[in-house]
This record gives sequence, C-alpha cells and structure tokens, in this order.
Amino acid sequence: MSSSTVSLRQGAPRPAGRRGPRFGAFEPWFYLAPAFIVLIGLLGYPIFQLVNISLYDYRQAQVSGAAPLEFTGLGNYQQLLSDPQFWAVLGNTVLFAGFCVVITILVGGWLAVLATRLRPWVRTLLFVVSMGAWATPAVTGSAVWLFLFDPTLGLVNKTLVALGLHAFDGYSWTYDKWSAFGLVASEVVWCSFPFVMVTVYAGIQAIPTEVIEAARLDGASMGQIARTIMLPMLRPIMMIVIIQSIIWDFKIFSQIYIMTSGGGVAGQNLVINVYSYQQAFAASLYGLGSALGVIMTVILMAVTLVYLRLIKKDGEAL
Amino acid sequence: MSILSAVRRDSRRETTIPAPAAGKGTRKRWGADAVGILLAVVVAFPLFWMVLSALKPKTALDAGDSLPFTLQPSFDSFVRVLAVNGFARYFMNSVVVALAVVLVSTLLAFLASVALTRYRFKMRTTLLVTVLVAQMVPVEALTIPLFFLMRQAGQSIPLVGLNQLGSLVVVHVGFAIPFAVWMLRGFVAAVPVEIEEAARLDGASSFRFVRSVLFPLVAPGVVACSVFSFISTWNDFLFAKTFIISAQENQTLPLAILTFFKPDENDWGAIMAGSVIMTIPVLVFFIAVQRKLVSGLAGAVKG
Amino acid sequence: MKISRLAAAVLASAALGLTACAPPTAGGGSASTKDETGGTLRVWLFSEVNQDPKSAVVNDAIKDFEAAHSGAKVDVQYIPTDSRAERFKAAFNDPSSAPDVAEFGNTDLANYVAAGGLADVSDVVKGWDEGKDLDPKILKTTEIDGKNYGVPWFVGVRALYYRTDLLQAAGLKAPTTLQEVETTARALRAKNPGTLGIAVGGKSQFSAMPYLWAYGGGIADQQNGKFASQLSSEKSKAGITAYTNLLNDDICPPQTCAEFGGNATVQQFIAGKADMAIGGDFNYKAVAAAPAVKGKFAVIPVPGTTAGSIAPAFAGGNNLGVFKSSTHRTLADDFVKLLAGKKYQQKMFQAMGNLPTFADVQKQVAGDNAYLKPFVDTIAAGTDFVPVTEQWATIDAQGIFTGMYQKVASGKSTVDQAAADATTAMDKVFGSGK
Repeated sequence: MSSSTVSLRQGAPRPAGRRGPRFGAFEPWFYLAPAFIVLIGLLGYPIFQLVNISLYDYRQAQVSGAAPLEFTGLGNYQQLLSDPQFWAVLGNTVLFAGFCVVITILVGGWLAVLATRLRPWVRTLLFVVSMGAWATPAVTGSAVWLFLFDPTLGLVNKTLVALGLHAFDGYSWTYDKWSAFGLVASEVVWCSFPFVMVTVYAGIQAIPTEVIEAARLDGASMGQIARTIMLPMLRPIMMIVIIQSIIWDFKIFSQIYIMTSGGGVAGQNLVINVYSYQQAFAASLYGLGSALGVIMTVILMAVTLVYLRLIKKDGEAL
Repeated sequence: MSILSAVRRDSRRETTIPAPAAGKGTRKRWGADAVGILLAVVVAFPLFWMVLSALKPKTALDAGDSLPFTLQPSFDSFVRVLAVNGFARYFMNSVVVALAVVLVSTLLAFLASVALTRYRFKMRTTLLVTVLVAQMVPVEALTIPLFFLMRQAGQSIPLVGLNQLGSLVVVHVGFAIPFAVWMLRGFVAAVPVEIEEAARLDGASSFRFVRSVLFPLVAPGVVACSVFSFISTWNDFLFAKTFIISAQENQTLPLAILTFFKPDENDWGAIMAGSVIMTIPVLVFFIAVQRKLVSGLAGAVKG
Repeated sequence: MKISRLAAAVLASAALGLTACAPPTAGGGSASTKDETGGTLRVWLFSEVNQDPKSAVVNDAIKDFEAAHSGAKVDVQYIPTDSRAERFKAAFNDPSSAPDVAEFGNTDLANYVAAGGLADVSDVVKGWDEGKDLDPKILKTTEIDGKNYGVPWFVGVRALYYRTDLLQAAGLKAPTTLQEVETTARALRAKNPGTLGIAVGGKSQFSAMPYLWAYGGGIADQQNGKFASQLSSEKSKAGITAYTNLLNDDICPPQTCAEFGGNATVQQFIAGKADMAIGGDFNYKAVAAAPAVKGKFAVIPVPGTTAGSIAPAFAGGNNLGVFKSSTHRTLADDFVKLLAGKKYQQKMFQAMGNLPTFADVQKQVAGDNAYLKPFVDTIAAGTDFVPVTEQWATIDAQGIFTGMYQKVASGKSTVDQAAADATTAMDKVFGSGK
C-alpha cells in the first residue's frame, strides 16, 4: 500500500506545501496521536497479549503465581485441533453465522427493494418499527424472544396449542439443537436486518433516476435493469453489509449465552465465543481460551483481507 | 439525508424498482403496501409484547395470560424493578459509562479523521487500512488479555481497575474509535477546502480552524456517529459481566436484567419492565440522530 | 486534562506489560496485610429457589452485626450457583475486586484453596467458643492439609419426596428399591398425564449420584495420588442407565427434563407438576409451604437396589469462608462467626430447613422436628462425595459429568458412548493437573 499511488477521490486534502505554522510536518500526527495511542494500548497490545497467553499453559495457579509459567508453544492449539468438541463448536459457529448472514441479507435486501415501492406513510411505518428492532439491545431482545417462546408461558406455544397443535403444550424450543439455533437466529435476524435494509435502501436512492429511465426507454426489461444497472451500482454497498454481517454474526455472544443458558443441552449450542469464555473464565484454562480467541481473530481477519482485496480490485481509493 | 425524510421524499424523485407489471397501477401497489404493513406489524410485535408484558399485573403473567391487551395496566413491575432492585442506580451507571465513551471516543476519532482526510502524508493509506482492520477485530476475543490489562491498570490507577465503571469506559473507547473514524471521515472530507483557505487567510491557526470552523460544521455528523459507540457500550454484556466482579453498585443494566432470570421461575414482568427501561434511551437517541445516520453510513460505506 | 491522563494510564500499563514478555502472573496468591475496622464488608451468598426467607434471616444478621460494629456496612450479593465458577475465579484473579466473605459449596473447596483464594480460618474456629461444638466429621470436610478453609454453615442430603395423595389414588405404595422408583414413577405419570412421574434433571447431578453409588459405581478413584474416572465401569454404567431410564417420555420427558438442574426439579414438585422428586432437607420448608402440595406429600430416604437399603447420598453442604485478599479480616471473621454461629444456624434452619452443623444444635432440631428423620437416616446410612481435588471444579464448569447424562437422555449417545466420552474428558482434566 504505497501512498504515492493513491489518488484522493473525495474530500480536499491540504496541498502538501501548506503546513501549519506550529507543528510543521508533525501536524497530522498531533491530531492522530491520541486516537492511535488508545488503539495501540487497547487493541494492539491486547492482541499481542492474546497470542502470547495462547502459547502458555496458563491456568489459575499460573495467574496467581502459585505455579511456574510453562511455555507450551502450540500445545494449546494442538489440544484444540485434536478435540472433537472444538470442531463441533467451530462447525456450529460457521453454520449458525452463515445462516444468520444469508437470511439477514435476503430479508434486509428484499425489504429495501419493497420499501421503494411503498406509499410514503407505509414506508415510514416500516422504517420506524425497524429502527425499534435495530435499537433493541441484545440482552433485552433475547429476553423478549425467550419469553415469546417460553415452554409454558410463551405466546407462541399458547397460540399453537389453541390452534389444536397439542404437541406444543410445554414444548421446549431450546431442547433440540436446531430449534434452539433457529430461535436465536430469529432474534439475530430481527435486530440486524434493519441495518441492511436502511443501507441498501440508501444505496438504491443514490442511483440516478435518469439512468434507469434511459435504460427503460431503450427497452430494457425490469430484470435487465436490476441485473445490469442496479446490482453493479449496489455492489460496494452489498459488500460492506455482507462483511459487517459476517463479522457481527460470527462473534455473537449475548444471545447464545442468554437464550440457551450458556450453550444449550450438553453444550450443543456452543459457538466459539461462548466456548472461549467458558474455557477461560469458568474452567480457568486461560491459555486454551486465548487460543480460541486467536483462531477467531484469524478467521475474521481473513474475511477482512478478502474485503480489502475486493476494494482494491474495484479500484476504490481509501 | 435522513431515514425518515428520505422515505417521505416527493415520490417523483424516488428511485423505484418498477413492479413486473408496473403499468397496472394502484391494485399492485396496494398489494405491496399490504405486505409492508404486515411486515411492520411482525417486526414491531416483540417490542409491543415487551411493553405490554411490562404493564400486565404479575398475577396475570404468572397465570400465563396471553391476551394481546390488558384491562388492568399496572406499573407494579416498574416499581418492583426501580424501587426494590435499585435499577435507577444501574441505569445511571449505564448512562455514565455510555456518555463518557461517546464523548471521549468521538473527540479522539474526530481529531484522527481530520488528520486522515485533510492532510496528505506518508503512511496515510497505511493508517487508514489499519483503522479499517482495527474495526474488524473481534473485540470479544480480547476479553482475556483486557481482563489482565485492566487488573494491572487498576494497581496504578484505581479508577480504571476491575470492578470500576472506568474499566468499562476505557475498553469501549478503544473499541469505538475505529468505526467512528471510518464514519467521520466522510463528514470531515465534505467540508470544502475553500472554507479552510478563507479561515487561514483570516489568520486562523490550524488548530483554531479545526476547533472553531470545522467542528461546528461537522457537528451534526459527529452526533450521528456517536450513536454507534453509544449503542455498543450501552448494550455491552460480556465486558460488564467479566469486569464488574463484586461491586454490585457498579453494575450496568444488562447484568441487572439478568438477575431476574431465576433458576426456575423467571420474573417475566420485571424482566420486561427492565427491558423497556433499557431500550427506551437507545430508541430516543436513535430517532434523534437518524437524520444524519444514513449519510454517515453511506460515507463509511463508500469509503 | 482528563484525556491525556487516560492516555498516559493506558500507555503506562502497556509499557508495564511489554517489559515482560510472559503473560502477567501477579495477583491472588498474596494475603492482604490491611485490616480495616470500618467500611463496606462485601458478602456473596447463593441465591435460592425460595429466596425471601434466606434474605430475611441474613438481613437480621446484618442488623445485629452493624449494631455491634459501628462504622461497618455489610453489602450482600446473591449470586446464582450456575455462574459461581466465573465469579469466584474473577475474584481470585483480582483481589481488589474480591468480596470479603462468601458462601461456597463443599465440592468447590479444593479448587478454591488450590487457587489460593481462601484464607485459613483454623485459628478462627479454634479461638471461637462455639467452635468446639461443630460436628468434627463435618468440620473435617473443610480441611485441606490440616487447615480449615471455611466454617460449615449447613449440611444437606437429598431424599425422595412423593405425593401421598397421588400414590394412594393409584393404589401404590412408596417405592422400596430404585427399580420400584422407576415403575412407580411410570405408573404415576400414566395415571396423571399432565405431571412428571418423578422430576429428575439432566443437569441435576446430585440426584444422579446416589444412583451411581447405589449400583456400586463411582465417579473417580484415586491411585498413587492421581484420579482416574470410573464412569465406564460396568457398575457405574448400570447406575447411569438406571438414572437415565427416568429421563424418558413415560416418566420425565427429556424435552422438558434434560435442561433441569436440581432447583428446577424441586420447583416442579412445589408447583404440583411432579409426582415425586429428589430434594434436600434445605428444600423442605419451601415444599411444606407450597399450596399445591401442602399436607399431601411425604419424604423417605432414596432407596438402594435392595429393599430396605438406602442409596448413599451426596454429602452436600455449604461453608462460609473468608477471602485471603480481604482488607477487613477481623470484620470478616466476626461476620462468619455470627452468620455461621448457633443463633443464626438455628434461624436458618427455621427459615430454610438447612440442617445445622453443630452437633448439639443438629441433635436438638432433629429431636424437635420429626420430618428430619429421613434425612438423618440417610446421613447415618453413609454418604459419599465428589473427588476431592481442585480439578473437580473444572470438570464441573465444563459440564462433563452432567453433559454425559444430557447426551444419553436426549438420545445423542448411548450410555456406553457417553460414559466413554466423559471418562476421556475427565481423565484429561485429571491428567493436566500436574
């Protein structure tokens, strides 16, 4: 990433020749320093320490200084990779996050398109309630959904039983692995589709009407317009919402922790974050927990890297 | 552009995706509207149920009352939550932490975004990429090292040690900065260079320009961006759970709500009342800043 | 300026850590040298199914305490037993955030002591006039390497609660063997389809253990100072099978019961939704006061495999301990002596039914309260315990033991498979405990 080849697409950088009288070439650094010091201290250093701890046998006795530290190299990773539970948890995480991302994007994208065809008051209504869902904290959202699906007191079971489906009397939605994941996924989609909808809607609005009009006059069909004009123009926006969704859904903690009370029956609903938390803070295997954290960070950084490559390929400047 | 004003915009100027048989007119359109209304009801339902359940009397809830209304609305659950369980205190804790994070992180992010957009210097792109990457770091994975870091920090500065609200402020400031820089960039860059030149001709120093000219101009955007740091701090469950070990008086709302989840007899009325109390401030903030939200997001998205 | 101080703080701590390449190790081990006589004494107690009576007694104790110690305030926090592991670990890791006094289960004692978190209270017990009356057998459970790390607050054993009215209506007699427990439970559920034949839980490990022991199995054996899991032995598997047979659609459907912990099963009985349940002496008051079952239930020891025998019960009990890091050591000791003293043990017995740990007090309440007989008989018949090692808390936190039952109950594994998995996982933990 050499800076000399980058041209600025927007904004107005100060011409290099005009510098502030007091700080000279250091002027931008004066503005940057506070933020970057904080970032180094609170993101950079902890990442270093995370990797560091993951290379040690680091348990309660080591933390309190009662036993000597033992450098085990990749021992924690070896232990994880040979543990079938780790692979099960990783599989859960990927499947669960993937499912949430796909559904969120589909629902959010579809609603954004639908919104363009709604009467203004209906659209306003849809956006206002969506913002309500968006603004709902994970903890309270989880609580409400859990209540709706409560085995005995929940509205959903009551309604199903009233409809004659007596099998749902006292039915526990968190007992079966997939119905538990489905329940959590519903909550996740509910509170994350609005971001996709609003962003994509803004993207659609930004497409000049003339372009579409012109295409239509040229006899292009609706499908052609969507495929050849709108999708390419929405590509950057779709990319960011997809990447953001992947990152958000991959690191979900609160919803799983609360709705499946810490990972479900026999740990069937564990995802990597909850698993890491349990290994570290409940079982005091801090080294192992850190190794899990490193693995998650590496996976998400890989996703980010793909994103950066795509930006570059698109010729977008930073 | 605001979300709400955007959606209210004059229909001639909107980009609509034409329906397959666009010419057919109002019947088709009513079909879409009906779907839209139906979806709005579905999306709003959990929130409606939350408020309703908070207002139902405890006896009705325990008896499994599932009527979509209540004839005897009662504030008992709220009273129970606020008076008996000290929710007011936890509420204030959450407010203090969230506001401190918003103020500090937004200020630092604003300064950084000034450097990254209005100056051209070596490493600028590298730093921008760093910010982007930092924004993607899964902060939850850092719980373990941050726990030890805060423990250590607390030994020299008790205010930011574990068990203190300060520890939550510090970590969330760190988490909030990258995204805030990313979003503020668009706003800061949008201020024309001519204004800067005019200020300079009037003899303003660089710092003076940033403080007295640039900041007021981008202030609305700054407020909009702050909603994200506010929300992520306000909603934080993991760090509050890990850092606030024994100081009950320093608990924040998410954990306070969790105390109503009893082994076997959840006090749903209290949980819902607590949830309403916790959701309202976010909603208010959200609606207050939504005007600038979309343009901020669009700016961040366009890169 | 506030910000720069903050930045400086972050920098300073970052620099502190960077100088050493290894992860930080300071902390929990050292005892506090301070002993303040004023300020806030933080206390952790467990939250209960029936919380109000416990709070009432504790509040009385606080009033007494604060009256006797001017300038001292007591702040009690009730923590759920589910998340106790994280809470205690965190407290050991950061002494300045730790409470001063805590209630803890005897199964966790070894781990907490190994973590260096608890203070040695041997001298407190010795120098306390009531201390000599503590049942020596119970006091022994707080001992590691000859030192006491807690004052026993109450003991608990579980017995079989059953609904006399429902048994009578079904023409059944109280079960005399574990096999009969199963058949009785099945018959009761058949007769009363809305109820659970017996409320048992996938996570309710203390009601599962008597089955394991009654069939001659065990959790783990100690050989040459090292523990090895015994769950895969034929006898253990027989016990696991017998217990998981209850977690079946015709007795306690796994759909409902697999997620139950011990409290939940008792709650089902209290609500009148279960025909039988395995509950503790500490649950008795709550059950006896419950409108749905009041006057319609009886308690007998959990039977063994042969008629007339009693299944070995888990010797539960909670202690009150002092954190090593407490900066109010004298106040903390005093508070423990007050709350675990005869007066408040008696009050706790009256409020909760918790069985006292003073030999004389226990004898007296057992004499005055006939309902305690099945529990006292159970204790007399002999009890058993989880492996006394710091690793047990890790096994517990990872849910290895309960996970085994849940896997079988939910049909994810056979007994053989689940027992083998649990054995492997448990031995791994035992093995890593160098």
